[in-house]
Amino acid sequence: MWIDLAITMVKIIFILAITVGFFAPVLTWVERKQSALMQDRVGANRADILGFTALGLFHIISDAVKMFTKEDFIPQGANRALHTLAPIIALVPALLTFAVIPFGGQYTLWGQEVNLVISDLDVGLLFVFAIASLATYGYVVAGWSSNNNWSLLGSMRTASQMISYEVTMGLTIIGVLMVYGSMQLTQIGAAQESFFRWGIFLQPLGFIMFFASAIAENKRVPFDAPEAESELVAGYFTEYSGIKFGMFFMAEFIEMVTIGAIITILFFGAWHIPFLSTATLLSMFDFLGDSFANLAVMLIHVGVFFGKVTFLIFMQMVVRWTLPRFRYDQIMKLGWKILLPLSLANVLITGIVILALN
Amino acid sequence: MAYYVNRNVKMTWWERSYIPAILTGMLITSRHFFKNMFGFVPFFLGKKKEREIFTVYYPEETVQFPIAYRGRPVLALNENNQPNCVACGLCEIACPAYCIDIVPGENSGKQNEMERYPIEFTIDYAVCIFCGFCEEACPEEAIYMSDQYDITMLDRKKMKYNMEQLLVPVSELKDRMEFCRNMYGKWNY
Repeated sequence: MWIDLAITMVKIIFILAITVGFFAPVLTWVERKQSALMQDRVGANRADILGFTALGLFHIISDAVKMFTKEDFIPQGANRALHTLAPIIALVPALLTFAVIPFGGQYTLWGQEVNLVISDLDVGLLFVFAIASLATYGYVVAGWSSNNNWSLLGSMRTASQMISYEVTMGLTIIGVLMVYGSMQLTQIGAAQESFFRWGIFLQPLGFIMFFASAIAENKRVPFDAPEAESELVAGYFTEYSGIKFGMFFMAEFIEMVTIGAIITILFFGAWHIPFLSTATLLSMFDFLGDSFANLAVMLIHVGVFFGKVTFLIFMQMVVRWTLPRFRYDQIMKLGWKILLPLSLANVLITGIVILALN
Repeated sequence: MAYYVNRNVKMTWWERSYIPAILTGMLITSRHFFKNMFGFVPFFLGKKKEREIFTVYYPEETVQFPIAYRGRPVLALNENNQPNCVACGLCEIACPAYCIDIVPGENSGKQNEMERYPIEFTIDYAVCIFCGFCEEACPEEAIYMSDQYDITMLDRKKMKYNMEQLLVPVSELKDRMEFCRNMYGKWNY
């Protein structure tokens, strides 16, 4: 029992370290540097320690110092309690979703069964969407409690956009559920061992729609009408400063990792390497002994999983720095008139094909 | 001739889905990204040409300006280690910003010696507008616009340069001298 607890603690610490400790801060740097390179600029490279700039990586440290030392400003007439609560509501769901996301398969290490997911829920996928939609409250409350018209407009846009795209997202997932017949994320991942059983081949339309609506859920360009800086100053977090602003920022970046992880599990074969099944990989490390071979395969699978996540984050960044922002009515039109009928058609066609094959 | 935009372009349904346009755009940005990323690594090893980036790391790297560029005005120091200036005051008069201040002195009038010379020659770069009129007015080829433009001080008084700070050996000003002779020689005064 104690060993199970210890393993769970290690997994929780690993996930927190890799999201909050690695991805969230490094992505702030990646976003600056990647956008700079795409636009033929140099990018952030001025922060240095003893004349050593490390390609601008020290900007992360200076950002953190800046955010922690800035004045935490609450505007006059704002609801102090809700104003403080809002960034927490926005950040916590982004972290919580990682509880059910598997970052590797199941391995036997020294007689101990290790399942690389913190909590292997039967309704994992449903849990992800239930928790992720809670973040909407954070954004809505943030805009409402700031006593600022820009913020209120931003949060109204957030609410309508999130509701519109949540529908498409849910309906796209139904196609994946029909194909794999399970809501358990570990089982969906395990079902994609062979390359041509990956979700992107079985549900190509579903992947495109899921990707689009996931970016819309995360409120990034081209769907960034809620925080459109040229229209609404900064949208729902106009009145935030210091670490509270940083929490909104961190929520956005962690959500990018979440989106990457979910798309990896649903459409990109989770932790599997193309054309290389787990059994083959195990036999390749046979000379190490049973437990060490399992350990090696586990490390490779975790590496592959986060490699795929990194690739999907790169794709999100490319989309963010390529496409211009949609007008508000275009967002609504795309959500309700194009993506929703398409996702319904996707469900219908998937059903017909499954029925025909059986 | 006015350029008319044809807004009634007939697009196929595939074009109207904007998927090819989106993919093309992403391809272009990705191409720039990878070109620059692999141009960046050799950049730190000393190979600079392989990147597409036009911006420069300013204080470490500087741009080579064309010879016609007007930077801060400097005084020419000739081969005899003396300023070309004869303290005639034409630049002082030509200066629209009144930033030049000359205190003239007279020599005894011996052979091979300038009759007049500047005792003090001050240019206040906080006032100077880099117009180049002083250079144009000078009959003795004594004042020239250099290619330096980054004169920044924490104290406004330090922006006043005296003669020692202004003098530059004439060998460094050869190109600009040539350029000025060609340019002002064509004009009919």
